[in-house]
Amino acid sequence: MKSLIQILLVLSLGFAPAFTIPALAFDLDDLNKELKKAKKKADKELRKIDKARGKLTTAEEIEIGANLISGLLGAAPLVGDPVLQHYVNDVGYWIARQSKRNDLPWQFGVIQSDGINAFAAPGGYIVITMGLFSLLENEAQLAGVLAHEISHVVRKHHLKALHKTMKRDFWSDLPVQAANSEKDKKKLRKLINSGVQLYATGLDRKYEYDADLRAVVLAARAGYDPYALLDVLTTIDSINPDSEELAVLMNTHPPTNERLDKLADKMDGRMDKYASGQTNPRRFRQLAGGR
Amino acid sequence: MKHLPQILTIFLFLAAPSQANQDGVIVRQAPVYAKPSTAVQQVGQIKAGSRVSVFDRRGGWQEIFSEKQGITGWVRSYQVRQGNFAPQVKTETSSDSRGFLSGLASLSRRASGFFKSSSGSTSSGTATIGVRGLSEDEIKSAVADFEEFERMKQFASSQKRMNVFTSQGGLSATRVPYISESK
Repeated sequence: MKSLIQILLVLSLGFAPAFTIPALAFDLDDLNKELKKAKKKADKELRKIDKARGKLTTAEEIEIGANLISGLLGAAPLVGDPVLQHYVNDVGYWIARQSKRNDLPWQFGVIQSDGINAFAAPGGYIVITMGLFSLLENEAQLAGVLAHEISHVVRKHHLKALHKTMKRDFWSDLPVQAANSEKDKKKLRKLINSGVQLYATGLDRKYEYDADLRAVVLAARAGYDPYALLDVLTTIDSINPDSEELAVLMNTHPPTNERLDKLADKMDGRMDKYASGQTNPRRFRQLAGGR
Repeated sequence: MKHLPQILTIFLFLAAPSQANQDGVIVRQAPVYAKPSTAVQQVGQIKAGSRVSVFDRRGGWQEIFSEKQGITGWVRSYQVRQGNFAPQVKTETSSDSRGFLSGLASLSRRASGFFKSSSGSTSSGTATIGVRGLSEDEIKSAVADFEEFERMKQFASSQKRMNVFTSQGGLSATRVPYISESK
């Protein structure tokens, strides 16, 4: 039996080249094409799986975020103060650079609303209301607030939340970027609507604690006093929680005193050496106090 | 027009004293320092639940006085919950300790029940400032404004701007590890 195999092997080696070279060449070409096709298909499937897990490409993330933030800007436009807007962008950009996601087109804005709040959208779009901004006393506090929102983006909290609300197959064939057909556009709209709802209902509370914890580290990395975020929370905690200005924040975040307790507890003994970081109250007043 | 800065200055001075002598309660047992820094010597400990007067705020610190414990010094801001509980202590301060904006913001909001009332619970006063934009309904029903989105882009910062921004602000990047979820 063993020798039969050997004979067959010798035969095939001996004869095969003579007969099959042209055919083999042809086959190889074909095979290459097939392989490429298969690879393309596999890549597509892989992308589908990634999406089913809620993993969108960066470009898709940015596209969704741009739509979401445009929605918020539709409710409350930017404050008409270029100096202020540039300043907030500089602080935000500097903080974002301390995260692992400096591939995003980070953009920041102060919007015309008395409500006390700040919002982040996937892709690196962040807005803070004038109501919250006017409670701030220095640059480190602004940095703390922006770092909290930046952390939501870096950790993809909104995308994770959206992923939970949509069915698995919704993601698997979602072409966010080239949403050409009516069906695709409808899907994109549905996704954006769900995203907008998130701004009114809020993220999972554990994401808020996570963003607080990451924010103080980002602020410290950027050279700011990380305790400034605790100061902002202390100020918010001193406001009547029934006031109209706090309504949305209170509905969408854990109780402020619990955030304070958790954050202070986690920072205890770990952030002391960064407490001497910058607060820059003078620059803050110069660039943001001109109204 | 010439008088406008003067009027604003007077306005600020009016705002400052009303802010300066705030009262609070110590949230947890806290070390008290002679200066707003952990590098200086502790002057004592203050017990959780102590009622204190707050003289000044600086960065993440507040200068407090506890009549009961007879202690004066600086504690971390987050260890103080604001409210008007402590006996009134007359103090002088020349600085607008809570900052320009919050001074103005709080003055107009003081009368409106915006801050928690002296009992520490909520005030019965109703907010007189109309809240513009971003109520829950407004968020949900907003029509996306892509023109405003384009306008936002023009203020975006860049690596180029960072040199001036960080050197003027005395900022330099430091390595700081993330804090783990479980302590």
